[in-house]
Amino acid sequence: MDLQALKTQEHKRRVKIGFMWAFFCAILWGLWYIPGTVVWVLNPFDAMYGEIAATSGDGVSLIVTAVLITAFNALTVILALLVWNGVLGKFGEMKRTLKEFHPCSRWFFLAAIFGGPMAILGSFIAMGFVGGAFAAVAALMYPVVGSTLASKWYGEKITKRAYTGIAFIIAGGFTIFGGGVLTEIGSGSVSWIGYLGGLMAAAGWGIEGAIAGKGLDISEPDVSLTIRFIAENIIWWIIIIPLLAIVGFPMFKYAILAFEPLTLLTLIFAGITFGFCYVAWYKSFPLIGVGRGQGIGNLYGLFAVIFIFLFFGDVPSWTILVGGTLCLAGSSIMFLEDTGELESLRGD
Amino acid sequence: MANLRPIKFRILELCNEDGGKWNYEIVTQIQKEYDLKGDFQRDSINFDIIELASGGLLQDIEVKVDEKGFYKKGFLLHKYNITKFGQIRAADACLLNI
Repeated sequence: MDLQALKTQEHKRRVKIGFMWAFFCAILWGLWYIPGTVVWVLNPFDAMYGEIAATSGDGVSLIVTAVLITAFNALTVILALLVWNGVLGKFGEMKRTLKEFHPCSRWFFLAAIFGGPMAILGSFIAMGFVGGAFAAVAALMYPVVGSTLASKWYGEKITKRAYTGIAFIIAGGFTIFGGGVLTEIGSGSVSWIGYLGGLMAAAGWGIEGAIAGKGLDISEPDVSLTIRFIAENIIWWIIIIPLLAIVGFPMFKYAILAFEPLTLLTLIFAGITFGFCYVAWYKSFPLIGVGRGQGIGNLYGLFAVIFIFLFFGDVPSWTILVGGTLCLAGSSIMFLEDTGELESLRGD
Repeated sequence: MANLRPIKFRILELCNEDGGKWNYEIVTQIQKEYDLKGDFQRDSINFDIIELASGGLLQDIEVKVDEKGFYKKGFLLHKYNITKFGQIRAADACLLNI
């Protein structure tokens, strides 16, 4: 085999690994919806919601409960990631990267702010004030934000084909959740804060990806991601939860009550799926770029519906067939692109 | 060594030398400097190099087939040089010598 052929083959393998990571991300993200949904009806969160709703109203109660759930989610994610880094023997590199605050860690702290309080909380707000379907559709818009930022800010090459693929996958997501969204919006007065939550989710995750892409230039994905979640834990456990407790919400009372077997098990399942979904997401960026990584990651919408059907028996409406086909078409458009164009992800 | 910086920083430094550097040379040197042993660590460092190249911070200037098994027999060896963009990013990170 000649040199050029070997080079092409090696290059194709690299791109394939990148797409594979993005695909894993989508599957795990979809799986996360199972513990992510179940945890709401488990105690202490169920009781917490009831107690706060009785005094402060449903809306406030939903957000405050969401904060505690998200904080626990971040906590179990960091446990999963520390085990992962331990197995890979990357603690040394983590220490080295953490020390480089200006070039490296700074970006991951910023990513944590956008991905954590903004995107995840926004997503819960959209879920609570409008509905689950709306929240899912709103979040599907994040690759548009992410890829536009990555290309404008640091010149990531995003081909027309990649944009087309992203558009197809988003259209697919809309088709899957569209009926639900119409029902939710049509069901009477929807508070504007719900739409704001949707916007927060799309913008937050999009911005997070673009920022992470910048920091990942010069640092290691597994390590970077762990730093990002250390930062998110600081934001929840050291800043927001104590603040809410000072204002008078029973945060610590319910945080301690969360240590019961079924709740813990669900939270750990959430931590593992969410944690590794993020590992896969961050690993795909350096190989295929933020735009493609996020576009393929968007397949989570399809997987979430499938897993929820398999585990809870919620039969999806027939539109899932059309939406699923659009999603598949979108991924194929991106995956089958002549990868010569991906030689380097950045323009000159 | 006491003041080791993240591995990707060191890779950029090594590729800033005149004429570039072969990936197996980089990997061996980093394994020694950072005291990272074993094939898994070796591949992990090589993957860091691939990510840097894919991100446009390094470019390969020479390629040859690994016939003697320097790294992995039958696979390609790459010689890398830092790019302009790589130098800018390295300067952001306050890397010396660049």
